[in-house]
Amino acid sequence: MTPDRWEEVQAIFHEAVDLDPEARHRYLDAVCGEDAELRSEVDALLRGDEAGHTVLDRDLGSVATGVLEERDEGALPDVVGPYRILGRLGEGGMGVVLLAEREDVGHRVALKVLRDAWVSPTRRSRFASERRTLAQLHHPAIAQLFDAGALPDGTPWFAMEHVEGLPLTDYCREHRTPLGERLRLFRGVCEAVQHAHRHAVIHRDLKPSNILVTADGAIKLLDFGIAKQLDTPLGEVEQTRTGLRMMTPAYAAPEQVTGDRVGLHTDVYSLGVILYELLAGRLPFDLSTATPSEASAILLAQDPARPSTVARVRRHSDRLPGTAPGRSGWADLDVLCLTAMHKEPARRYASVDALIRDVDHFLRGEPLDARPDSPVYKIGKFVRRNRIAVSLAVGAAASVIGLVGFYTLRLGVARDAAVEAAARTQRVQGFLMNLFQGGDPAMGPAESLHVVTLLDRGVQEADALGAEPVIQGELFETLGRVYQQLGEFTRADSLLQTSLQVRRAALGASHPDVASSLVALGSLRVQQAEFDEAERLIREGVTLARARLPLSDPRVANATSALGKVLEERGEYAQAITVLGEAVRLHEVQDRGESPELATALLELANSHFYAGNLEEADSLSRVVLAMGRRLYGEGHPFIAEELVNLGAVQYEWGRFDEAERYYREALALTRAWYGEDHYRTAANLTMLGRALVARNRDDDAMAVLSEALAVQERSFGPIHPAVASTLNDLGTIALRRDRLDLAADYFGRMRETYRQVYPAGHWLVGIAASNLSNVHGRQGRYTNAERLLREAVDQFARFQSPTHTNTAIGRVKLGRILRMQGRHAEAAEESGAGYEILKSQPNPLTAWLRYAATDLAQAFDQLGHPERAAEFRLAMADSASGQ
Amino acid sequence: MERDRQALDALFSVAYEELRRLASAIRSDDASATISPTALVNEAWIKLAGSRGFADLSPLHFKRIAARAMRQVLIEAARKRFARKRGGRDVALVTFDDAVGATVSSASELLALDAALQDLARLSPRQATLVESRFFGGLGIAEVADMLGVSEATAHRDWRAARAWLARELQSGT
Repeated sequence: MTPDRWEEVQAIFHEAVDLDPEARHRYLDAVCGEDAELRSEVDALLRGDEAGHTVLDRDLGSVATGVLEERDEGALPDVVGPYRILGRLGEGGMGVVLLAEREDVGHRVALKVLRDAWVSPTRRSRFASERRTLAQLHHPAIAQLFDAGALPDGTPWFAMEHVEGLPLTDYCREHRTPLGERLRLFRGVCEAVQHAHRHAVIHRDLKPSNILVTADGAIKLLDFGIAKQLDTPLGEVEQTRTGLRMMTPAYAAPEQVTGDRVGLHTDVYSLGVILYELLAGRLPFDLSTATPSEASAILLAQDPARPSTVARVRRHSDRLPGTAPGRSGWADLDVLCLTAMHKEPARRYASVDALIRDVDHFLRGEPLDARPDSPVYKIGKFVRRNRIAVSLAVGAAASVIGLVGFYTLRLGVARDAAVEAAARTQRVQGFLMNLFQGGDPAMGPAESLHVVTLLDRGVQEADALGAEPVIQGELFETLGRVYQQLGEFTRADSLLQTSLQVRRAALGASHPDVASSLVALGSLRVQQAEFDEAERLIREGVTLARARLPLSDPRVANATSALGKVLEERGEYAQAITVLGEAVRLHEVQDRGESPELATALLELANSHFYAGNLEEADSLSRVVLAMGRRLYGEGHPFIAEELVNLGAVQYEWGRFDEAERYYREALALTRAWYGEDHYRTAANLTMLGRALVARNRDDDAMAVLSEALAVQERSFGPIHPAVASTLNDLGTIALRRDRLDLAADYFGRMRETYRQVYPAGHWLVGIAASNLSNVHGRQGRYTNAERLLREAVDQFARFQSPTHTNTAIGRVKLGRILRMQGRHAEAAEESGAGYEILKSQPNPLTAWLRYAATDLAQAFDQLGHPERAAEFRLAMADSASGQ
Repeated sequence: MERDRQALDALFSVAYEELRRLASAIRSDDASATISPTALVNEAWIKLAGSRGFADLSPLHFKRIAARAMRQVLIEAARKRFARKRGGRDVALVTFDDAVGATVSSASELLALDAALQDLARLSPRQATLVESRFFGGLGIAEVADMLGVSEATAHRDWRAARAWLARELQSGT
């Protein structure tokens, strides 16, 4: 049939179909006439219309059932890898879960097998990602991964701990669990989630059916099927909505419904809903009859009734067993629960740690950190709290954390803050410090002002704590370190000094807490580049800590690390290597295995080796640190990115630019995913990549990458910043190499201007800029300009580095060339000669510059009528060339 | 292009999971087994709308694509199932054996429908689209009419003729 014929057939069909049989017959006879084929087409169509009953008339659902559902377990293979299959446990969107037994040792596992991988590559990668996530998590309350593999046809599977238990809510109902015990179970769930968060894993599908309680009352968190690695650069599509795909709406956070960024706060919300259910006996929203769009509307707009209100109207048999909390107890539970499940992520607990703390507060009968909808309230809280000295310091820190969490979320760096926070919760201080890590210079002035204003209030409150010098000392130290992170060095300085004084006065000069203040103050001095003072303070702290504390005390290890860091900063690499090696050993003993502190000490040790030129050691240590970082933090933590950059730098130094490029790119992907496109760290990473590309002679690629870096830096730092200048330098260098002289002049000119504004009193970097700009002028034949710039450069080098510094030598050699170009041979011989002598006296002379100088000297002496001296330098040129 | 590929890939995943959900609800006699293809596609829309790759699409256009995805997922599944029935060796654990009967008939019916739809597309692409959108995507007549830029009456007529034609093809073909 042709389309035309089909049109014709249809037209007749439509005319005929609603006629009674007789009329239809007459009509068809008339229309089709002799065309028997047409007639039979139309007849067939009319029969089809009447008969109907094809697959089209069936429900799509039943058709889908027919092709997608398997019937029974009859065809299960008996053996998968080392496991014998015993039966089926269940199925999820991704796969079938089977009960299996390891044949040799006999223990039972849950075996998960991906089903229908063919549907899309996404399924396969999501399955793999669940397996990776589980491999990373080791916690008694998280079902453990044992094994993984693939069937002969490539179908992937993995085996994990088989948990027998009841879903959390069922367990509580069946056992008539009283409130206190419910909260303790809930706290156990929080701890498991917290562990995941420390590994940068968001669960995204927390609900009672994924949380089992075993017969002996232990919690097991299951199903990381849609968990998300915070840092994994997911496909963009994945990033937005996957979370909801299989998420149970009842426990879904508003941001999962709207497709906004999910984060640790998403799990906090779901935990809030679970707590609600445990307290109130039902879910906060009834979504059972809602369509998906109604459900989203409810989740986004409706405020849940207070759990206390719901619980009070429950039938008696449904009520919370045991002693009911009193009015104020319920008020606190309401706040706790509703803070966790606040619709605005920024108003929730900033982390699971904060949630746990408030659960603990409740269990101990202490006031909560959270207050209804009033994060700013929290700061005023700790004065009122000073009756409870025990928890005061923790509470105060938590208050600041709450605030800081609030504001940093507002700043859009919630991920930095929250995850950094999660990474080191053991110590309240470390926790607080880490909230700021990575967020500092990225904050615009207005935002950091917010935080600072609040911190200022915190300081006022701390001032009022004169009667509690121990806590006050600790608080001052904490706040001081926060200010340091924020770059408020003056403020940090006075706080840390005060901390030191308060502690010395209250505890005596040789108390270990004094050591802690000394080390903190010394570390500030490192950042202020006052290395003498830094070293003195830290050494005093180390001596004190070692005298007063057992070697196994973390403060000894930390102080030793700090000393290593200051030595490294001073350029005392040999000493730094010794001290950091010691710090590494102390951490190894004290942390009993791997820890963030150990990893950091190793990282600094690798850095010291790198700067000392021990590239082999730097390389192998960096690899150790990288592997450890991956185990500690997961695949995509910024720590990993930093270490990849370090490895890249080693390769770069070795001249393995392709490998350097690879590491830098890998780091860049992580940095971007973590910090976002417009973060200064992303820019820094781009810059390094640009340099590797330059080294590989891929100038166009390099220019593109570096221009991108420049734009990011200008946005995040403002145009007047050393980092901007440094990128301008790279860009200028490429432009010059490509003979794009005007462009190069523009880049170097901006670089020089930037450094001049950054360092109004002069700096050797101003000299570098002037010297590089002079190259352009020299090429353009503008010798007067070039000369002026080089004299400025030499002056800066001599003053801010030393008259015999390599840079001074190079400046003079370059000046010699410009002078010779102007025919000023005597002056040229003097400058080139001076530079040549300095270079020659160095342990590893820069042969390229020596040759450069020798060339000029030979020519100048020829011109000056000293052929024997000229010959001397020509010989030197030949020597240095053959010596290479 | 990469973005489109990813978007489609995500859509296929969603379509698959929705279909599976529907199927398992039906199998277990779940009360929510009344989920219609319409709800299914709406669900997919809710989950994917706003994602890169779908953000620029109108809901209608999305449903059109979603219907296609549903069709392809089902046809692919039917092919695998059918191939298995033809004596393909069960290599993977996931190839559970079926009781002979409804399943195979669903699978073969689907394959026949797919082939017939391809034939129909040669005669009238508009009608093929219409059937695909209605059957696999659960679009209503009004929506289909809107999508195809025809009146509802025309859409009705198109549907009826197409359905009759397919019935004839499917019956004579087997």
